[in-house]
Amino acid sequence: MGKKEDILLNILHEEQDKKGYISIEALKRISSQYNIPISRLYGVVKFYTMFRTEPQGKYIIELCGSPSCVQNESREIEKFIEKELKIKIGETTKDKVFSVYKTSCIGCCDEPPAMLLDGKPVTKLTISRVKKLLQELRKNKSKTKKPQNKIKKVKKR
Amino acid sequence: MQILRQTNLEALKLAMNIGPEKTLKILEEKSLVGRGGANFPLAKKWKLAMNSKNKSKEIFLICNADEGEPGTFKDKFILKNNPETLIEGILIASYVLKTKRAFIYLRNEYDYLREELEKKIETILKNSGMKNKVSIEIVRGAGAYICGEETAIMQSIMGYRGQAMYKPPYPTDEGLWGKPTVLNNVETLTCVPQALLYDDWNPNMRLFSLSGDIDNPGVYEWELGVKMATILDTIKPRKERKAMSFGCFGGIMPLNKDSTINTETICKEDCQHGAFSIIFIGKERNIVDICLSIAKFYAYESCGKCTPCREGTIRILNLLKKIRDEKANESDLVLLKDMAQHIKETSLCGLGQSSTNHILTALQHFKGDFEKYLIKENRIDSTNNKPQKQVKNEN
Repeated sequence: MGKKEDILLNILHEEQDKKGYISIEALKRISSQYNIPISRLYGVVKFYTMFRTEPQGKYIIELCGSPSCVQNESREIEKFIEKELKIKIGETTKDKVFSVYKTSCIGCCDEPPAMLLDGKPVTKLTISRVKKLLQELRKNKSKTKKPQNKIKKVKKR
Repeated sequence: MQILRQTNLEALKLAMNIGPEKTLKILEEKSLVGRGGANFPLAKKWKLAMNSKNKSKEIFLICNADEGEPGTFKDKFILKNNPETLIEGILIASYVLKTKRAFIYLRNEYDYLREELEKKIETILKNSGMKNKVSIEIVRGAGAYICGEETAIMQSIMGYRGQAMYKPPYPTDEGLWGKPTVLNNVETLTCVPQALLYDDWNPNMRLFSLSGDIDNPGVYEWELGVKMATILDTIKPRKERKAMSFGCFGGIMPLNKDSTINTETICKEDCQHGAFSIIFIGKERNIVDICLSIAKFYAYESCGKCTPCREGTIRILNLLKKIRDEKANESDLVLLKDMAQHIKETSLCGLGQSSTNHILTALQHFKGDFEKYLIKENRIDSTNNKPQKQVKNEN
């Protein structure tokens, strides 16, 4: 234990970066590769809200639910997104373009209301801005998604 | 701003010239304390790890960049604007503690800062000549608030569910993989090179993350004891102000423009300042709504390890909903206070213990906001504990 390659969270993130979620097959593979019981692996994945075990939409929206955003009308944005995409928070659209979640504070309280779009902050949201953004993303859906950055290990030697 | 002062590896050179003992002495004399909220003296923490009775002499270092407290964004500010000094702080700590492996636990909500940070680490390790001596690894968090707690963050790095552990043993004795471990906040480690290098470094400067019903939210730097009037002049409250909440955990207190902000004045109102994240609350808002959104946060973020927090946070939330739905009576308010007090006294970690501060302080300062929603006619019945009408459950 305690070797560089043993940081399980980074291993799981790398896996999730490939497909947007961590499949049971991937868990089985990691389990045998690193000799970690699959029950423990599953327990870890399910503990952290940002690990997903189901296929996700092409774009992942994570709305901030912190009091600072709530005080700045984030609930209106939330309702609008639900209505516009015809899904509830925590769901993925039928065409697999959007998955929408609510998170705890994303640290953008100075530019509320805010959300993360594929991990990048989009701030000072207004209904018209969100509407435009969703439309643009829908147009782009046929284009291939950029591969996400893989974690680079800072080498010791 | 003091926190943005660059040290350009000069502080590391100085530390290496004078040696670990003298470096520690300077940091002690400069009264550098932890900025995570506990105000624990930095030199004392480092010495605890160095003098640990653990057989292993290897010390791990963790930089806590899991800034999960709602309303707090000062660490993000540093990671964006002065990562060089933070990395230098990690290197100085590694030099003093003889650490070979240091970690930055970066919350996944800040993952967009990672690539830049990795580049900076690589360059600074090369330029400082420390590349062969220490590695700095970024551990990517995954959305758990509890991982800001010192034992939970270690569980998380070791690849377990990020749940709090019993103390003792303390991390400085038995931390990561059973070895002594020092955990410091981003702001604290950024202060290390600045405190070492600059004679005019002021130990009382603090970063304030201000947000809520104001026109100029952001990160500001003031000296402890700053007048509330000065803060209000800068942030421009949007509406008439009513209260301020210290993140979610620190409690809610009335806002008085004549007050000063320091540990004593805040503690006097039974609040905790933590990392000085203040959410301003306008006069038109009802405190019950604010408490409800904080209670939702805790019910969602409880790690589930100890019963008072796991079950209690959900019951608190349900009670608050009952109050908000105008279905509660005065006995529910008594129950709310009792339960909040029990959770505070019996939870395992700091998260659980502070998960009801907002309720206790809100009941103390804004009880009227709660009473507005109570069913008045039932008041006498319920306090006498008369049996209430049973509703048939058709399911």
